Amino acid sequence: MEILTSDGRPLLEAENLTKRYEDGVLALDHVSFAVYPKQIYAMLGANGAGKTTAVNLFLNFIDPTEGEARIDGIVTHKEPLQAKQKVAFVSENVMLYPNFTAMQNLDFFARLGGKTNYTKDDYRRVLLRVGLQEEAHNKRLKGFSKGMRQKCGIAIAILKDAPAILLDEPTSGLDPKAGFEFIHLLEELRDEGKAILMSTHDIFRAKEIADVVGIMRQGQLVVQRTREEIAGENLEDLYMHYMAGHVEAAA
Amino acid sequence: MFKLIVEKELRDIIGSTKFALTFGVCAVLILLTFYVGGRHYQVSQRQYEAAKAENLRQMEGVTDWIMVRNHRIFLPPQPLAALVTGVANDIGRNVEVRGRGEVGAEDSRYGDDPIFAVFRFLDLDFVFQIVLSLFAILFAYDAISGEKERGTLRLSFANAIPRDKYILGKITGTFLALAIPLLIPILLGNLMLPILGVPMAGDDWMRLAFVVCAGMLYFGVFLTLSVFVSALTQRSSSSFLLLLVIWISAVLIVPRASVLIAGRAVQVPSLDEHASQRARLSAQLWNEDRKQMGNFKPEDTGNAEQMLSQFNKFMQKLADSRDQKMRELSDRLNEERRNREAAQQRVAFGMSRLSPAAAFSLASTNLVGTSLQLKRHYLNTATDYQQAYAKFMSEKTGGMLTGGRVMMFRSRDGEEAKKDPIDPRQIPPFVYHPIPLREVFGAALLDLGILLLFNLVFFAGAYVAFLKYDVR
Repeated sequence: MEILTSDGRPLLEAENLTKRYEDGVLALDHVSFAVYPKQIYAMLGANGAGKTTAVNLFLNFIDPTEGEARIDGIVTHKEPLQAKQKVAFVSENVMLYPNFTAMQNLDFFARLGGKTNYTKDDYRRVLLRVGLQEEAHNKRLKGFSKGMRQKCGIAIAILKDAPAILLDEPTSGLDPKAGFEFIHLLEELRDEGKAILMSTHDIFRAKEIADVVGIMRQGQLVVQRTREEIAGENLEDLYMHYMAGHVEAAA
Repeated sequence: MFKLIVEKELRDIIGSTKFALTFGVCAVLILLTFYVGGRHYQVSQRQYEAAKAENLRQMEGVTDWIMVRNHRIFLPPQPLAALVTGVANDIGRNVEVRGRGEVGAEDSRYGDDPIFAVFRFLDLDFVFQIVLSLFAILFAYDAISGEKERGTLRLSFANAIPRDKYILGKITGTFLALAIPLLIPILLGNLMLPILGVPMAGDDWMRLAFVVCAGMLYFGVFLTLSVFVSALTQRSSSSFLLLLVIWISAVLIVPRASVLIAGRAVQVPSLDEHASQRARLSAQLWNEDRKQMGNFKPEDTGNAEQMLSQFNKFMQKLADSRDQKMRELSDRLNEERRNREAAQQRVAFGMSRLSPAAAFSLASTNLVGTSLQLKRHYLNTATDYQQAYAKFMSEKTGGMLTGGRVMMFRSRDGEEAKKDPIDPRQIPPFVYHPIPLREVFGAALLDLGILLLFNLVFFAGAYVAFLKYDVR
């Protein structure tokens, strides 16, 4: 599949990435794409299309059957620990540790990501940046809403300060205001030079924010469009069209 | 990384409401165990002193050593027996010492107060075996699967963390987070013992320390098992259910089933059967002796004292002969019974050791000296004492032991014939020494080893299972 946008070397790259599970299900079928610095790649698709499988392959939670996923040129299944140093992750329904405060959660995950020199002020600053009110910083997460937890999740990703960010359905279940704030934050991160791969069902947010949109169906990347290309199109129609079975031959 | 995971576990567990509640309950139970144990020791000590005094009081006014009857010795209460009761309340505490024949213990605590037998005493064995094992399961059943459900496992492994360090940190952290707070009430309980007037010797402290170590090993078994099961399951509810089934089997079913199966597999003749055989022989011997008694005619020396002495010697000879024959039968029956019992115990304990609860119970009762060995040790000590007592009485009575059939009569009346009463305090005191530490440690070593093995196996299982665990 052709690389549609380029700004230096790709930070996230899938090349013929294929995953067939032990039960025979082909979750990902020779998928190739790349995400560059200062780029948001939105991976759209129905449930079971293979979006989360792609994210899991980048994080080496599973090994590919064929092909490879690379983070900053490092093949994830060959050197997983090195590759993971280059990527931050925000998952769907971030729960974190409910008995920890927001600050404590940040501290733990920052240190887990190898950042041992952060101060409480750093944590406070990041939490304020993601929109978490100061009075919530020292409260336990067990009382937090999903939106508040999601903000903590993105704060953790920011603190890791990795060049690439993977997001798995990050806006699912967020209310419109929280969703808007979240998208705005992603734009900021992109502008800071991060390469962001986001799997989502949310066509409207994808259109709003993505530099590249890829539509997946039954494990295949059936179409890719740049921001410019979809500017004149109705992304919802395009999505429905490809979901109905049309496969565009990538040139 | 390892330190970070350990710290996280410590903070996560200790900061939870579940921990505060459970720890509160456990702390109260542990402290209550020490308090009840201490009080129980005090009561037992008073009863023991009273029984000893009553034994001497019964001999007051007796003017001839040959008239001494019903001399009893008593098992002194052991400080640690109140904390790990084992069979201490099931075996008889007092033994009638006659100077000859077999000794048997009577009047067990549960025999005197059967209500205590219904629910048994609260002791460390119960607290560790039941409460702390459940405590371990309650906190570790979702160690892995729970992290997966919360999404924290995915988030953690999105970082460059080696899995082996993570699982090592997880198990170590969970163990420290739960074991250290549990040691606090145990240490406080230890401090209560001297305050409650329980005289703990250096040897006793050592035994208690070993019991606590055995308890921690047992606690570790259920902790590593819980992490292992959690690493085998994808959902914490499945993990909890599976662990509950394992707990019920290991703690409640296996030990009981082992005893039942061993009872079926190796039959031990009942004490009633033995008593019946002994009674038959005794009756037969009496019949034979009665004929001889009828034919006995002392040499008429004209001296009543000499004639009485002849009669007493004759009776003593018959009694000795009867005693010898009875002893031979008893020895044979006892040896047979002991062999069968030993075989039965080997089968029962061998099978029960499949359960860590049984291994812990055997280890702790062995260490404290309240295992099945206690009865044998007490009776052996009593038998040894009986020999010393027999020697003493023989010296006092001029070769006559009490318990034979002797005849006495006074040839003269009058104040001048009255003898001074004997001083019962001259009777050698019964000194009971608990089974030596070295011996009990040797006996407990196998079970301590089994507990350690369980820990290693489950730890290895958790380690390997987690290396293959699907963290998605």
